[in-house]
Amino acid sequence: MNPLLDQFLSEGRDFLQSIGERLLQLEEAPGDSALMNELFRLVHTLKGNSGLFDLPEMTRVLHAAEDLMDAVRDGRIPFDRPLADCLLEAMDFVATLIDEIAEAPGDAPPSTAHHASDALRLGETLRSLLQDRARSADGADPAEEEPPAPPERPEAGASDARPSALDPIDLPEPLRADLIRRLEAGGSFCWLRYEPEEECFFKGEDPVHQMLQLGDPLWCRLESREDWPPLAELDAYRCLLRFEAILDTTPERLAEHFRYVPDQVRFEPLSQEILTAATAAEGGPASTSDRAFSAEAEWSFDLVLEAQREILALSDTPPWLDGRLRAVAASLSAAFASVGRESEIEGLEPALQAAIETRSPTPLFAWLAARHPQPHAGRATAPDDDTGGGSDRIAAAPAPGEPTSISSSDPEESIRFGRRAEDQLTSPRTLKVDQVKIDRLMNLIGEMVVAKNALPYLAGRAEEVFGVRELAREIKAQYGVINRIAEEMQDAIMQVRMMPVSFVFQRFPRLVRDIAHKLGKEVRLVMEGESTEADKNIIEALADPLVHIVRNSLDHGLETPEARQAAGKPREGRLSILARQESDRVLIEIADDGSGIDPDRIRRKAYERGLIDEAELERLTDQEAINLVFAAGFSTAEQVSDLSGRGVGMDVVRNAIARVNGSIDLRSQVGRGTTLRLSLPLSMAVTNVMIVESAGQRFGVPMDAVAETVRVARSDIRTIKRRRTTMLRGRLIPLLALNDLLALDAEQIANDDDELAVLVVRVDQEYLGIVVDDCRETIDIILKPLAGFLGGLTGYAGSALLGDGSVLLVFNPRELI
Amino acid sequence: MALEFKKTTAVARDLLGVEDAETLLEWLIKHPRGRVNLSACTHLHASNLQVLMAARPKISAWPKDRALADWLRAALTQ
Amino acid sequence: MKRILVIDDAATVRLYHRGILESAGFEVTEAVNGIEALERVAEAPFDLYLVDVNMPKLDGYGFLRELRAKDLPQAPAIMVSTEAGANDQKLAYLTGANLYLVKPVRPGRLLSHVHTLLGMTPSSEGRTS
Repeated sequence: MNPLLDQFLSEGRDFLQSIGERLLQLEEAPGDSALMNELFRLVHTLKGNSGLFDLPEMTRVLHAAEDLMDAVRDGRIPFDRPLADCLLEAMDFVATLIDEIAEAPGDAPPSTAHHASDALRLGETLRSLLQDRARSADGADPAEEEPPAPPERPEAGASDARPSALDPIDLPEPLRADLIRRLEAGGSFCWLRYEPEEECFFKGEDPVHQMLQLGDPLWCRLESREDWPPLAELDAYRCLLRFEAILDTTPERLAEHFRYVPDQVRFEPLSQEILTAATAAEGGPASTSDRAFSAEAEWSFDLVLEAQREILALSDTPPWLDGRLRAVAASLSAAFASVGRESEIEGLEPALQAAIETRSPTPLFAWLAARHPQPHAGRATAPDDDTGGGSDRIAAAPAPGEPTSISSSDPEESIRFGRRAEDQLTSPRTLKVDQVKIDRLMNLIGEMVVAKNALPYLAGRAEEVFGVRELAREIKAQYGVINRIAEEMQDAIMQVRMMPVSFVFQRFPRLVRDIAHKLGKEVRLVMEGESTEADKNIIEALADPLVHIVRNSLDHGLETPEARQAAGKPREGRLSILARQESDRVLIEIADDGSGIDPDRIRRKAYERGLIDEAELERLTDQEAINLVFAAGFSTAEQVSDLSGRGVGMDVVRNAIARVNGSIDLRSQVGRGTTLRLSLPLSMAVTNVMIVESAGQRFGVPMDAVAETVRVARSDIRTIKRRRTTMLRGRLIPLLALNDLLALDAEQIANDDDELAVLVVRVDQEYLGIVVDDCRETIDIILKPLAGFLGGLTGYAGSALLGDGSVLLVFNPRELI
Repeated sequence: MALEFKKTTAVARDLLGVEDAETLLEWLIKHPRGRVNLSACTHLHASNLQVLMAARPKISAWPKDRALADWLRAALTQ
Repeated sequence: MKRILVIDDAATVRLYHRGILESAGFEVTEAVNGIEALERVAEAPFDLYLVDVNMPKLDGYGFLRELRAKDLPQAPAIMVSTEAGANDQKLAYLTGANLYLVKPVRPGRLLSHVHTLLGMTPSSEGRTS
């Protein structure tokens, strides 16, 4: 994909995330102007970014959102929930587009035209919000919002119709010659420019009709005064047309025709001078220099000079005036050089020195006026020409007027040289790297570890097969070195894969807000430790279970404000999500102060569903009863709501956590609330497994699950309730044969002393013995999830390559049983 | 109705009024390759012209009125 | 080689401008806000500045004021904004910009202004003239 688009998408996602966060924060603190500015800036920048691509739908919506935010920022309309909802919806729409663009193949962004109607609708919704609110808010300018009401003075139109003087009329040569000839023969023609004001359509005007009534033009040009925005953003009712024509008519007739909009037209009788001046203007600069320059360069030269002229016409004397003057001089010098007129630069330096000494731009202005008279100043003689001679402007400009009008918008700024944040800037040294690249590194280090593990085999062969003990020792020594480097590399790559839990947490403010809103509950969300890090896979595996847990809390845990009040609790429920690191585990605690889980209800339910028998009903402790919510097929919801009742129970949550070697612990007190604690490994990239043998094959079992390995004499095994058990340090442990669990058709083999190898594993606080043929060494492996058809196999955590090239299947005791 | 939409062509008849501009715009947004037939169009309000200028669709037929056609060509074919 | 400082908080815009300028043979340095831009300037002044308006910490206006108040060779600055208003342009000129362009700036247009403000004829691609 093209890097610019890539950058846009990645940055866009960040922006959307931040925008979402700011919106929620603003709901808490609607008066926070810093937050408001930041939000505006984000939307504004995102819109600007989208404008670099042909994404009219996105730009349209963002533009509308920006306008709305602008109005909010200026206090024209209040920030409230419906507005936030609307903006959030708009951002969701943008997120959809970003995802779609990201998934599309190819270098150019795909067309998102099929979203056009959504974009239109969203854009209109946002705009209508702006108009409704503005109308109802005080101080709104009704003339702006109510199209039919004609403003007294068409200000916008007047400034837009600002006569930028007669551009050289680039008439086709035959027409020019013909006109000159007809002028000589006593004909009378007028050149006309008509720039209807932007709101003219709302006054019932039709500029096309106006122009057509003037009869056939000899020459005409019709263009827009600004570049058209992307179609999805186009406001068809904002008139941006510029008509130009040469007509066989008199100025008097034109004056009469346009008598209602005199400020929007310019016209003058065509003279031979104008026609020939146009020729000269076009050919002029080229003829004064000995090299031909592109029209583009000439145009840029004019624009730059015009800008410097405007700057020199400023009458304020700020502390940075020196610098401003020097920069103007530098710009002028460069501009002249760029069109090959270096020779004219002399005299600039003295002018600059004079300007600096007198703290006045006048010397520079005079220098510029002498080199480059105001373009077309002599030619255009329209009565309403407001771009007079430059020196007049300096004299006319009211000295205190301009700076005051600027600083009044932000009085602090002009004194303190801009807002500077207190905190010292640390430029981000972060590198965004495509996930695929990290995965590749991960795979490579996996292969490295495998390749490295081949060295001990090689050393063994060197000694045993070839009998060169010396070489074997050297290989082992080298192995030690490579091993250390490989381990460090592994560690480094794992560090790269670490990401903060905020990746998952960040969605909660919005989620909690929306669900609580839907359920009519008041919830205060507290999050801590968002920066706690864990492996990417762990974090990703955490996302769905956490969402489910949070939904459960909101749905079943926290009560309605009324119920809470009745129970003597604050109306607002509290939901906290905390993360922290403890040695090599990440702990995540989700706690609510809701109604808690009633163990009796659980017992009853479990009994009704046949999950426990009568004896267990009596015997189960409260905690054991509560843990039953994790049993498959158990759902506490009395009635299935559309939020959490999707047939997904806590058993699914537990299994998802278990799949990444995590565990879950549930505590609850009736009336006080519920707390869930998740404990997850920091990383799952490298797994320490024990190799066991069974039915002539080798298997791996994660060491996390292994409590101990023991030899149990066959005579110590008893069958209780048709289950084989043994006593181990005073504890009765059920025994299961691995061959049975894996459906391998073989008996477990005992050793010469008729003892069976037993792997004692711990599953949910209970111990269980798995009988295998033999327990072997433990090794570090890079566990890869089973892919393809095997991916559906439960019972296996994954597979790993061994040093000798064979594949080790690693089983997951929890899922086997 | 001054505007009639066929599969890939918008056909304008008689007078395209100010209220037609938004309709035309929406159609052109949804049909980026849509054509516009103006042969039966006797007049077109400037707002419609703006839409055409911004969208630059292919004009499959120009108005019969020569003066109107001249202005439209000036706006749309330069 | 002429050195240009591109100041914009949007990485996308920086990349866009960098792409245009580097393809024309300029050396581009980036800064994400006015403060960082001033730090880059303190290391070594540039031949041209391309300045965004709206940035956190220190905006484009603030940067220009500080830059123009410095006792350094004053190079031209182009302010690039999304606002086409006359007031925005005037504010840019008051604070020390030498040219005001409205985003998005087409590559050809940006380059021709850059060439003009660096005193380069259209043929002298990015080389010191």
